[in-house]
Amino acid sequence: MVSLRLTRWLMGYVRFSVIGGSPERFLNHCARSGINLWDIRGGANCGACVAAGRYRELRPCARHANAKLKVGGRYGLSFATKGIRKRRGLVVGTLVFIAVLYLLSARLWSIEVKGNTTIPTGQIEAELKELGVVPGTLKSKIEPQILQQKLMLKFTQIGWLSVNTHGCTAEVQLKEKIDRPQIIAQDNQKIYNIKAAQTGQILSMEVYTGTAMVKEGDAVVKGQLLISGVVEDDEGKSTLRGASGKIIASTARTLTTEVERKRRVSGPTGQVVTRRSLNLFGVRVPLSLVEKPIGDYKTEGIHTDLKLMSSVLPISVYEENWSEQQTVDVTLTKEQALVEAKKQMAQKQKEELGDAKIVSMNPSEQIDGSKLLYRELVKCEENIAQESEIIIK
Amino acid sequence: MANKMNIRNLAVPMQMPSHMEINGNQEVIVDGCSGVLEYDIDVVRIKTGKLIVRFSGRNLVIKCLTADSLVVTGFLTGIEFSM
Repeated sequence: MVSLRLTRWLMGYVRFSVIGGSPERFLNHCARSGINLWDIRGGANCGACVAAGRYRELRPCARHANAKLKVGGRYGLSFATKGIRKRRGLVVGTLVFIAVLYLLSARLWSIEVKGNTTIPTGQIEAELKELGVVPGTLKSKIEPQILQQKLMLKFTQIGWLSVNTHGCTAEVQLKEKIDRPQIIAQDNQKIYNIKAAQTGQILSMEVYTGTAMVKEGDAVVKGQLLISGVVEDDEGKSTLRGASGKIIASTARTLTTEVERKRRVSGPTGQVVTRRSLNLFGVRVPLSLVEKPIGDYKTEGIHTDLKLMSSVLPISVYEENWSEQQTVDVTLTKEQALVEAKKQMAQKQKEELGDAKIVSMNPSEQIDGSKLLYRELVKCEENIAQESEIIIK
Repeated sequence: MANKMNIRNLAVPMQMPSHMEINGNQEVIVDGCSGVLEYDIDVVRIKTGKLIVRFSGRNLVIKCLTADSLVVTGFLTGIEFSM
């Protein structure tokens, strides 16, 4: 029904009324003449609709019925555009619009990468650029299968990848591989002793395999044998095994950090130059008339894509902030140097002590010329068991 | 001249019988209609071969009319057949 109405509207139709005479005779005559009428109203306001092109053919029928016809209204595309057709600018504009729309819709204007977690989007986009997929590329030149293969070969961490084009958007949907956990082969053939990793006093011992060579309360030095891999059974026979155990000992260490107080620091002067540009269908249009500043500047850029209904438009704004930098000689005060030294010390503790339990700390600082030396005597409780392989030839 | 025959008389037996399809009391589709005899908002009288069919009702409209068919819509209250 809708298509019929649309067709009638596109072709144009006329609503007319039949005045005087015999409307029935008029209708019969029209039907016999092959003129299709619709929406025929009866009674005093008798009238109907007819295709615009056939209205003239109704006149003989009306004459036969001794009736007169009066046009009630003209409807359809041809009548709706009658006033506009004389305005050439509008017609040309419409044609240009259709042409531009057709030309632009044949190209790709945005690229969306979805599903990546460890691979940066920029890296994938750069690879796509190398493969010739950039905003403005003709859609007909894109071969998804080949693109998929090339991207999979380039990024080995991709498990599955698909390139789809939706309208003017290329969507790269991917799923990264999940690495299977590394299976550590248990090597029962290797024979170990357990030796002391640090000098200290043993607080507790847990021997899983092997023969304990020390006992709780003993003082041990670094490299001393704690658990032997040689195990003697009840019959006096000796066997070699991989010793294992947990030896918690009280240890003491001295950690040192050094902070240079005199330094050259580069900082912003507060003068910032902002440059903006508009990326329209791959063409960069500068919005600011400011040239690139010359000198010591630090640059930061923000790329903002315009989105409509969650799809990226081929319009983006790029903003560059050029911040002027100034290098000055600075001498840190003792307090400032100390704060920095403590930060470094915290990092060092994390690296060297690992999961050892710190019992006490005795810090001290010393200024040596332009340097600040920060020391900490750390007493802690840690597992000093360290495997040492016995190589038998 | 005596052997002359009216060609229309020969065509009569070949005519398809009229076929009527009624959808509720809202619409009647008539095939094989040979003309509208009377048309008003409360009555439509049509000729179908030898029969005359009279549709009565309210707000009757001939939705579509061709040489041998028509569609009547509206609120139908009665259908009468006469020779």
